Amino acid sequence: MMKTIMRFSIVVQLIIVMIIFTLCSTSTEPESNDWQLVWQDEFDGSASQLPDTTRWGFDIGSGWGNNQLEYDTDRAENVSLNGNGNLAIVARKESYLGFPYTSARINTRGLFEQAYGRFEARIRMPWGQGIWPAFWLLGANEGDVGWPACGEIDIMEYRGQEPFRVHGSVHGPGYSGTKPITDHYDLYNDRFDMDFHIFAVEWGVDDIKWYVDEILYQTVTPGDVTGPWVFDHPFYIILNLAVGGNYVGPPDASTVFPQTMLIDYVRVYK
Amino acid sequence: MITRKIICLSLMAALILTFGCQRDIDLLEPATYPTSGEVFLDGFGEGLDYQAFSNSKLDAISLDVAEKYDGEKSLRVTIPNEGDPSGWYAGGAFITAGGRDLSGYNALTFWAKSSMVVPVGLVGFGNDNTGNSLYDASRSDLTFTTHWQKFVVPIPLASKLSAEKGMFQFSIGAYEKMGFYVWFDEIQFEKLGTIAYPRAVVASNTINAEAGEVVDAGVTAVTFNVNGIDQTVDAAPAYFTLISSDETVATTDEYGKITAVDIGTAEISVNLGSEEVAEKIVVNVISPSPKPATAAPVPTVAAEDVISLFSNAYNNVNVGTWNTGWEFSTAVLEEVQIAGDDVKLYTNLNFVGIEFTAPTIDASSMTHFHLDIWTPDQTAAPAAFKVLLVDFGSNAVYGGDDDSSHELSFTSPVLQSQTWVSLDIPFSDFAGLTSRRHLAQLVFSGDPNTVYVDNVYFYKGTVVDPTVPNEAAPNPTFAASDVISLFSNAYTNVAVDTWSASWDNADVADIQVAGNDVKNYSNLVFAGIEFTSQPIDASAMTHFYMDFWTPDPTAAPAVFRIKLVDFGADGAFGGGDDVEHELGLNNTTTPALATGTWVSLNIPLSNFPGLITKGHLAQLIISGDPNTVYIDNVLFHK
Repeated sequence: MMKTIMRFSIVVQLIIVMIIFTLCSTSTEPESNDWQLVWQDEFDGSASQLPDTTRWGFDIGSGWGNNQLEYDTDRAENVSLNGNGNLAIVARKESYLGFPYTSARINTRGLFEQAYGRFEARIRMPWGQGIWPAFWLLGANEGDVGWPACGEIDIMEYRGQEPFRVHGSVHGPGYSGTKPITDHYDLYNDRFDMDFHIFAVEWGVDDIKWYVDEILYQTVTPGDVTGPWVFDHPFYIILNLAVGGNYVGPPDASTVFPQTMLIDYVRVYK
Repeated sequence: MITRKIICLSLMAALILTFGCQRDIDLLEPATYPTSGEVFLDGFGEGLDYQAFSNSKLDAISLDVAEKYDGEKSLRVTIPNEGDPSGWYAGGAFITAGGRDLSGYNALTFWAKSSMVVPVGLVGFGNDNTGNSLYDASRSDLTFTTHWQKFVVPIPLASKLSAEKGMFQFSIGAYEKMGFYVWFDEIQFEKLGTIAYPRAVVASNTINAEAGEVVDAGVTAVTFNVNGIDQTVDAAPAYFTLISSDETVATTDEYGKITAVDIGTAEISVNLGSEEVAEKIVVNVISPSPKPATAAPVPTVAAEDVISLFSNAYNNVNVGTWNTGWEFSTAVLEEVQIAGDDVKLYTNLNFVGIEFTAPTIDASSMTHFHLDIWTPDQTAAPAAFKVLLVDFGSNAVYGGDDDSSHELSFTSPVLQSQTWVSLDIPFSDFAGLTSRRHLAQLVFSGDPNTVYVDNVYFYKGTVVDPTVPNEAAPNPTFAASDVISLFSNAYTNVAVDTWSASWDNADVADIQVAGNDVKNYSNLVFAGIEFTSQPIDASAMTHFYMDFWTPDPTAAPAVFRIKLVDFGADGAFGGGDDVEHELGLNNTTTPALATGTWVSLNIPLSNFPGLITKGHLAQLIISGDPNTVYIDNVLFHK
């Protein structure tokens, strides 16, 4: 009796799933397929090697305006190739220059800057309370006009205490800090620290679109922002792994260290 | 767009989950056990029986069509009020007699709510109600609310559950004496993508054990990160694999036990399958601490003269607890046997309370408190073992201004290491204990960390004055023909003119101790014992001998002196031929003095080198710090 009912419901569900699955998958494909690859780092190289200095520079220091708890270094312990084609940014719990944690933050400032295009990275996340990895873009004119006038595009931000969720945001004059234009994308019955996922923005003159694994989840246009549209000049790329800070709160006793943000590649298209 | 995305994903998930329920797969594979994860969706899953736990409310579960999370029915559990005659609590297990292969899942999940917000005793699986379940796993940290919520009990290591019979279990008692309802629905095993990072909960990363000892590894649970939130599941030892780095030092078993084999250090890896899930446990194996080889002396006091708290020799009165667990007490009590005799073993002893209030003890007709103790620890001064007796006074309860107590401290030489020490303590020593009609507490404290305690009793005995010898000096065993005795009941004595010459500074009394004549000196500065009328020719003798007892201290600077004087050939004082020699003794000389016990001083005459003639001995002079001295059996012998 029971068994019969179950079978029936399975069949019905399967049919519905198939129909809608087909619908979903077609509607979420990237809109344009004629991108030209203009810059990339596949992070191939031997283990413990620092990232390629013709592509990346190091932001060394602390805080970064967010009360982050780590000191970012240019040591191989914090940022180096893993020998398997990935870059590992490793947050460690250690006393260093008076800070309780170390990690790293690298950028392409002065090495690669571009307006518009597709910026993507394939990343496996770390996890735990107070762990905050990010893949983002900052306006290259920050030195002249300052932040947030320079603009900031957060392709991916993630709170280690919410391993199922990533966030995409833009910050600009009037919509910065705690009130950016933002949305998030959730995995169902999965988490971002179990495997690699592809995070991308497609940035055009009229809009910026956010994708996770080719699924579009947010589009922001000049009409959506509560201030001037400042995404019309070259930006550079930043990859970092913060510990603590306003966005995530501090780590607690449950946070396991070290934590590794593993980046398979960063690619930029025109 | 976002809305559609969520629907799409949830249906994808439904597809995945549905596979978990599909039974046809079983028919295609040669699997021995069915792999269904269904426990209760709208009724019991196939082949499942409910078995209530013993002493639980047997009729606690029912199907509810009114309250349900999904489908037609939920499982309702009635938790009884405290004291409900139908059962103390609601608890039972869902069992499949044939067993199922759950190795493809990683969690038991269910939806639950309750009629009020309550912490829930235990919910889990792996208990087949046989008492032999190997893979019990449960959560005891859940709180149910009046809204349906989904709960997850991660499987500690799913590969262990290839033939599991215990599909679900719960055990829930009244909350603040009140019963309530709990509803469960959609109970099933699932493979969730959100469960990660098992970390074993380990009681301590350092274990000290004595060679031969078997200790618990203290690995009791696993914490998983479930979608960002750490959740801990209590897990039976058999889930874990404990691996010793050195099996000559320590070995492990599947029951979570570590056997300390031999002195050294081993590291124990804690694994779930091949994954190491905790910091290594360092096991330091040390040599076994000494313990008594023999039982304490069997008490000989007649039973009618005893109120015994703890002894195999007597019927014992009711003692509420041998370890009250008072704040700051670190004492651990173990009941052990030494040579077949029951003994209390205290370890980590700083202090321990022993309480006997139901009823208190009237020891007013008793005279002494006795206990036997044995410690492996150092007992050299200043180490002390302290005994505190507390009487609750006429109100027989703690407080009320009528309590009295007194603490005594025992040190070396009474306190000794690695031997049974029998303490027979007159109540008069407990000066502050103004009553012993309502004795209620006994407290042990002090330096020995490890103390074995036996034969704790009050008794009616002879009150002994510690300033007086209560037994006779041992009888000398020299042949009478080899002895010239000045004072002894064992021999015929020569004439002695005086035991306290007019020129000395001491008092002497003739007393008897246990029927034996004894000279009792008091206010002793120096005493002259003269036998000038008939000087003694000791030229054939080899030793001077005397039994000695004092209640006074005998440690330096105290010194007790013995002087022998020979009047020379003229047999008279003076005349230029007198010789003498004086010895000083204390508790470190040979022979040694001691306090409170008879000491037989048997001194070769060669120790008196100044005594170059011995044909006309006429004086014995004793002097010194012991002000009170008892002497017996004063003689020369060969």
